Parts: sequence; C-alpha cells; structure tokens
Amino acid sequence: MEFGTIEREIYVDASPEIVFEVVSSPGHLEQWWPDEAHYEPVPGRTGNIVFGQPGTDRTVVPLTVIDTQPPRTFSFRWTQPLDETAVVGNSLLVTFDLRPSGSGTLLKMTESGFREMGWDAALLEQQYNEHSSGWDFYLLRIAPYVARLTSSAVTAEP
Amino acid sequence: MSKTTTAVDDDLWSAIGDPIRRQMLDRLLADGGGTATSLSEHLPVTRQAIAKHLAVLDRVDLVRASAEGREKRYRVDDIQMARAVAQLNSVGTAWDARLQRIKKIAESIQRSQNG
Repeated sequence: MEFGTIEREIYVDASPEIVFEVVSSPGHLEQWWPDEAHYEPVPGRTGNIVFGQPGTDRTVVPLTVIDTQPPRTFSFRWTQPLDETAVVGNSLLVTFDLRPSGSGTLLKMTESGFREMGWDAALLEQQYNEHSSGWDFYLLRIAPYVARLTSSAVTAEP
Repeated sequence: MSKTTTAVDDDLWSAIGDPIRRQMLDRLLADGGGTATSLSEHLPVTRQAIAKHLAVLDRVDLVRASAEGREKRYRVDDIQMARAVAQLNSVGTAWDARLQRIKKIAESIQRSQNG
C-alpha cells in the first residue's frame, strides 16, 4: 500500500506568468491558503506561513523554498519542525509544474512525503485544512468526506 | 457538509497518531497478523506495552482479535484501515479547494489584464 503522494492537475485560463505569480508569491498565497505568508520566493530561503487570525490560537508553520523557475516550476517544503532544516523525512514537498496549454495553463500540483512522515503529517494537514476553511477545529476533526471517499480510498493514490 | 459527528473518527485519528501503533500496523500488514509476543520481538517496547497498544487499536476496530492458544492473534481490519486511508485522502480534497481558489484568482487577474 502506497499513499505517499497527492497529485492534482487543473486547467487555468490565464497565462503561465500569471499562474506562477499566484502559486509562488506570498501575497497571493494568503488569498488561497494561509492567513499570512512570510517568505522570500528564493531557493533555500526559509520563512513561515500562519494559520489563524491575530488574537486567536495561531499555528506557525515553517516553509522553505526549494526551486523557482518562472514560469515553469515552483516548489517548497513545509511542516518541518521549527528548529530543523527541511529535508526528506521531516517535511512535505509541494511542487507546482506549469505548462502552457491553449490560451491558458495546465497546472500540476504534487505533494509528497506522507509515506516518510507517516500519519502524523496527515493529521497535521487535516488540522490546517480546518484552519484554512475557518471551521471550528474540533468540528473539523470529523471526517465528513469518509462516506464519499471510502469507495475510492483503496485505489485513489498511486 | 454533513455533520455526522462520530467519536469514532476522533479515536481513529488518535489511534493511528502514535508512531509505535503505526509500526505495529505496518508489521501486522506485512506479516498478515501477529500476537503481542511476536510484535514485541520487532519493536523497541515491552510485550505489556504492545498489549496496551493493541487494546487501543482493537477499540477503534483497526485490528481484530482471535484466540490462538494462550494468546490472542491480531490482524488488521481492512475496512477500518480503508477508512483511515480515506481520512488521509481528505488532504487531497483540501488541495482541490486550494487549486480552485488559485484558478479563480489567476483567471480574474488575466481578465483584468485583457480588459
């Protein structure tokens, strides 16, 4: 059984240059994922992303930029312990690959490292999902998708 | 979004949230089953600790016990394991939502540039 990698592809009706900006710049990241993003999009640089509004119980998660080749690829590692360098085994690797397609862009996202990090990473991610959806943390630990996903669970991840 | 809250899911998460229990599950999957004694031979914890962990896994139905001589033999429950995997897959669902937001933002920027 291998469920180490999540892979998604989506067509975006915008140029690769625009899509690259949206997936890589901290200002845009804040619009589609964390509440705050603090990092320089430069390979090797480490910053962090923050989940939760000021004054609430916030979660700060390290993020290290791995590769940036506009407008082709952007990758980063995240979820490593705060005092550790991000490497295979202590973090999840997110990679965006962009490919021109017609008048738009084919955007492919992979997130890998679950096998190496084990279930803890999944639990962590699930918590972040909850934060980013603005739902109550405990309410969200429920797996509302289970019924729908169970049928595909065994074969879903290559 | 249905709110079919079940304590079971919370318990399921905490059951698999422990590294030793995950190693036990890996071992049981690899060997097709095992006992507290056989597991303790491969893991850096006592047989007593293993027995306690097995009880936790049993409580959330991740393992099934059957009598074998003086010891219980455990194997992984496929259906419950599949549910746990499904919860992992919910990570993928979160990415679907993020990618939809990325798409919306990028397309709206493109439209404003075209216009």
